[in-house]
Amino acid sequence: MSRILGIKYDENNKNHRFARTLVIAVISLTLFILVWWAVSVVTGNTAIPTPLETWNALVDLYLNGDRMTHRTLGQYISASLSTFVRGFILALAVAVPLGLVLGYSKLLRDFSNPVIEVLRPIAPIAWAPIFILSLGYTIGPMLVVFVGIFFPLLTNVIFGVRKIDPNWIDAAKTLGASQLQVFYKVMVPSAVPYVMNGIKIGLGIGWMCIVAAELYATPLMGIGFYLATQANAGYWPGAYAGLVIIGVLGLLTVGVADLIHRIVAKRTGMDV
Amino acid sequence: MNWEGNAGCTWGESSATSDDAHISIRNLVKIFKRDESETVVLDNFTLDIRKGELITLVGPSGSGKTTILRLIAGLIEPTSGEIHIDGRPCAAPGSDRGMVFQDFALFPWRSVRKNVEFGLELAGIPKEERKERAEKYIKLAGLEKFIDSRVHELSGGMKQRVGIARALVGHPDVILMDEPFGSLDAQTRNIMQVQLLKILEKTDQTIVFVTHSVDEAVFLSDRIVVLTKRPAAIKEIIDIPWPRPRDRADREFAALRKRILTELEEENVMDY
Ligand SMILES: Nc1ncnc2c1ncn2[C@@H]1O[C@H](COP(=O)(O)OP(=O)(O)O)[C@@H](O)[C@H]1O
Ligand SMILES: [Mg+2]
Repeated sequence: MSRILGIKYDENNKNHRFARTLVIAVISLTLFILVWWAVSVVTGNTAIPTPLETWNALVDLYLNGDRMTHRTLGQYISASLSTFVRGFILALAVAVPLGLVLGYSKLLRDFSNPVIEVLRPIAPIAWAPIFILSLGYTIGPMLVVFVGIFFPLLTNVIFGVRKIDPNWIDAAKTLGASQLQVFYKVMVPSAVPYVMNGIKIGLGIGWMCIVAAELYATPLMGIGFYLATQANAGYWPGAYAGLVIIGVLGLLTVGVADLIHRIVAKRTGMDV
Repeated sequence: MNWEGNAGCTWGESSATSDDAHISIRNLVKIFKRDESETVVLDNFTLDIRKGELITLVGPSGSGKTTILRLIAGLIEPTSGEIHIDGRPCAAPGSDRGMVFQDFALFPWRSVRKNVEFGLELAGIPKEERKERAEKYIKLAGLEKFIDSRVHELSGGMKQRVGIARALVGHPDVILMDEPFGSLDAQTRNIMQVQLLKILEKTDQTIVFVTHSVDEAVFLSDRIVVLTKRPAAIKEIIDIPWPRPRDRADREFAALRKRILTELEEENVMDY
């Protein structure tokens, strides 16, 4: 038991710890908004709306929809979310099995490494015009998100398989495991926490990609498109409202992934 | 209780081989090569192990004890020489030779029950029978209260009892134990030794036990093989026909322990 600013605080009490985190988060966000406000007022630049103007734009979008396109906030969000989820699932479906195999086989790893290392440094956003203009609005943006999530996920899965305790493999073999059984009874489950780690990193990058993708894929009418049309019209509070929506959606997805990660870590007894 | 003189005590290589051997190790050579460096760990190592005995290998650390166990397990291949079990050459690892590891090597993503069931699962044994057999051994290990616990919730001693139950449940002919109590504190170690003997009372398996505690070796073994430093050669084989449980305070116990320690000190080991 200790005291922070005169308030009793017990490190071992779950509620106390939660309250502490919450209070700090609220103070931090409040300070952020105050600084934003100050910058807006001091510069007097209309391209930096105040938090209140942004909030009003957000509420207006929520209540009345987009006055220019007559689309609702829900429609914008579901368009972006759909692109995001499809890209994410595709990345999961490709990166996880590929990572397991590449982590297992040194030959295949050495074989594919040169290609991966050439492709990895290319920003996912650089792919956006190519994918979207060549493959269309349904597949293109999805692939941009895919590229963003794919590499961090792949790297983590490979790492997870390679980090495996060699004693686990020996133990499995002396219990009669075949090569294949070692793979799916030991390597796959032991890589699960690393998969979750990769997903968390990938999700963040995926959200960065989506706005970029939507700038090219205007007919999709996602949040990125909304943001761009508001900025084009010089209606800055609307553009900022777009930023807030993207930030909150990103926060929510990463939060869900973090929760799942914790449950997995607890269930597997492996914290990575 | 007499080991002095020649009655209960046999010397050197002459007694290391016989025809009724259960595990016959012949002229084993193991050389680890890596780039320029070469480590000769075993040079013409020969030993016969009898059915149902508990034989202990003691020797300086780095002398090659783990290497011998891993060769018997089939986890590594000899540079030359042969190992036969009941006349059959043993190459690949298999469920006929169980292994217990110093750092337990339990699967953290599985419960106690699922760890013990692992080998039975691999063998395709039906669920009901698996459950029954696992429960029997978990009970034998005194862990019935923890049957559904995750392994990271257990103490070191409990973890190793899971390791032992996991190795025993598939009824292997041979159990290889590599310093199984080496990472436990002295008190837990003594308790585990008593419990191990209790568990083994009900089985007829052959145990090859590696330790660098001479005290442990004298407490447990039917025979002790004293090894030289690398490359491991047999310095002496000592028969201990004393009944169990053995009394550490016993004069003969202490005298034998002292003698082996002196022998090992000649191989310049300082650890006890
Ligand atoms: N895979 C390996 N590659 C190279 N050297 C090894 C390998 N395994 C063991 N050694 C070497 O062989 C020697 C004996 O090791 P080990 O059998 O583990 O000894 P012990 O179990 O008696 O302490 C040590 O010097 C160790 O460094
Ligand atoms: Mg060793």
